[in-house]
Amino acid sequence: MAKEMVAMILAGGQGSRLYALTDKLAKPAVPFGGKYRIIDFPLSNCVNSGIDTVGILTQYQPLVLNEYIGHGQPWDLDRLHGGVHVLPPYQKAQGSDWYKGTANAIYQNLSFLRRYDPEYVIILSGDQICKQDYNDFLEFHKAKGADFSVAVMEVPWDEASRFGLMVTDSDGRISEFQEKPKEPKSNLASMGIYIFNFDVLEKYLEADEANPESSNDFGNDILPALLRDGKKMFAYRFNGYWKDVGTISSLWEANMEVLNPESSGINLFDDDWKIYSRSSGKAAQYIADGAVVDNAMITNGCRIFGNVKHSILFAGVEVEEGAVVEDAVVMGNVKIGAGARVYHCIVGEDAVIGAGAVVGEHPEPGNEKNVATVGPGVKVGKNACVGGTAMVKEDVEEGGKC
Amino acid sequence: MLKNKHDAMAIIFANSYDNEVPSLVNERLMASIPFAGRYRLIDFTLSSLVECGIDNVSIIVKKNYRSLMRHLGSGRPWDLVRKNGGLNIVPPYAEKGIKVYNGRVEAVASIVEFLKACKEQYVFMTDSNIAYNFDFADMIRAHQESGADVTIAYKNEPIPYGFMNLQTTQTTDLYYTFDLDGDKITQINTNSKEYGPQNLSMNLYLIEREKLIAQIERAYAQGHVFYERDVLAPMLGTDKICGYEFKGYSARITDMVSYFDENMKLLNPENLNALFDGFNVYTTVRDDNPARYCSGSKVSNSLIADGCVIEGEVDNCVLFRGVHVGKGTRIKNSIIMQDTEIAGNCDIEYCIMDKEVNVASGKSIRGDKTFPVFVPAYKKIL
Repeated sequence: MAKEMVAMILAGGQGSRLYALTDKLAKPAVPFGGKYRIIDFPLSNCVNSGIDTVGILTQYQPLVLNEYIGHGQPWDLDRLHGGVHVLPPYQKAQGSDWYKGTANAIYQNLSFLRRYDPEYVIILSGDQICKQDYNDFLEFHKAKGADFSVAVMEVPWDEASRFGLMVTDSDGRISEFQEKPKEPKSNLASMGIYIFNFDVLEKYLEADEANPESSNDFGNDILPALLRDGKKMFAYRFNGYWKDVGTISSLWEANMEVLNPESSGINLFDDDWKIYSRSSGKAAQYIADGAVVDNAMITNGCRIFGNVKHSILFAGVEVEEGAVVEDAVVMGNVKIGAGARVYHCIVGEDAVIGAGAVVGEHPEPGNEKNVATVGPGVKVGKNACVGGTAMVKEDVEEGGKC
Repeated sequence: MLKNKHDAMAIIFANSYDNEVPSLVNERLMASIPFAGRYRLIDFTLSSLVECGIDNVSIIVKKNYRSLMRHLGSGRPWDLVRKNGGLNIVPPYAEKGIKVYNGRVEAVASIVEFLKACKEQYVFMTDSNIAYNFDFADMIRAHQESGADVTIAYKNEPIPYGFMNLQTTQTTDLYYTFDLDGDKITQINTNSKEYGPQNLSMNLYLIEREKLIAQIERAYAQGHVFYERDVLAPMLGTDKICGYEFKGYSARITDMVSYFDENMKLLNPENLNALFDGFNVYTTVRDDNPARYCSGSKVSNSLIADGCVIEGEVDNCVLFRGVHVGKGTRIKNSIIMQDTEIAGNCDIEYCIMDKEVNVASGKSIRGDKTFPVFVPAYKKIL
């Protein structure tokens, strides 16, 4: 059965800049916003935009991600025709290949796309926090009669040189790319979200694969080839919230922005554009007598006896009496012992912070990007100290420092 | 917890003791009464059954069952979408010849043909007014060890106030206490008014399927209504009926006051842990965001579900999913059900607010500890 548009989510990235958080799981599976994982955002956007056929291209540490996606029911993507499919690299009659690049990953799954005979394919990135209606984007693509469109964000001119930029004419047609240029000619940054006409995508992926010199990457190879051939390429301006959470500090920052939806623009409380996730199935949260909770988001299964300020607590976190949690992102099932102090940091799933331990510190003004990180499952011993810039992967013994 | 398939099926009576909580069942039935912040009463029984590997579950409903049907859907949250067994909801008139039933005998009679077609060796029959974490597998073990014909779960506790208040001659809501010799039941008492701890039936029975079918067919032909009074009690001399003492935590809803109290008891973390630390308890997923505690809010000793947005003060409360508490509002000693919105500067104490109530700003609503004010669902207090 033909589908108008099929989505392909690139979810193979290691996310090495998330350090301990992505040791055992792919970046799209990293928890976010109290009860979500990053991939919930593109998946929910797809469903809310009416796309019911989604391929997820996985490669690095796919176990958690595979289990999380399952057959897609939480996103309403368990369908008779279409639905969500996890697409790892696979063995073929003639050898097998890891995905060599973003374009090669899609190339290796052209047979998946052909099954649905789509008119359009939208390529999404599995490591961005963004609420976007892909239907609006498709309408734009159709109205322009484009072969290819890319979603772009306007960024401040003084930051433009950090991005891949699209130089366009007044109609939005792309005339040039600049990859992190010293002298930007545009302030339209690519979000890495593309719509292709499927026939164009198919043709260029096959040509790219035949070229041994190619790095098989959309940005480096496919897009320049389209431009060279004078294809109709358009930039679609997106004005909503968008954040690449590729680093510890940007992940921390995006979580903190969830706490201030009025000013940050990332509103998870929007009934018209719900973000779906797999439920933890835990009981309601308990806030004890004497606990202080101020400007925080807390999820089912938490037990709070201490103080929680300006923080996000995922499902099943326990904060014992006298503990103080401030400016922190505390992932699922973390235990924070009595009297511990947890400041300005990210604590990975299942970590244990011993009684009286100190994790992170309030940074000096200007050093907000220093975010202490405790890896998933790490045990920080009693009265131990994890410094404000520390990234901890191994257990810290009682009274230890790092 | 290990999930071993057990050779048992279950029948749940969803309208049990409806008469005792009239306000709560105005648009629902006992089984779908909201409890503990994010559950319906039946979630506890269903989850324990499923966690014990019992996945052929029939739910017999009598009236007001739309809300339960909506809650259960296909049974997916409890993993009850099964090719063999799964969830089977039996409304009145589901079988030919049976009208709205009065007692358990007529209710089970309506599904006798279904029971005959099942293959499981044992049947659990249970009411739906108790929240617990129950090890059904252990009860099967006890049943097999004692060689009983019927095993009845009970709790050794005083008869609840709501039951004591029942007018024995004017109610069809019966409750039972036992006299025991070891684990053997020697006497079944109906609507006893004894004080002090009694062996109080949980109305949870275990019996071999073939035996149940025979009992029900005989009792139905003789015009009997109540399973315990008319079937079990006369069997005491000839058959072995055993008690199975449940020592875990349970919350039994017998009237409005117990509904209020049992919710409030969960504000003691010991009780909360006792109810939830065994088997997982499953319920429908609503995709609410995490609860948001805004700057300036103050929450203490409360059970809060996902989806709540709290700007005001909440003390000694149970808030269900999606409740909104406006700025300057103070809520104490209250139960607020899902999606109720309370605007700013309100003062609320000893209230049970059913779902989707709207309270305009500046309102003051107060009940008393012994008489919480009940606000029905969808009410607008302007």
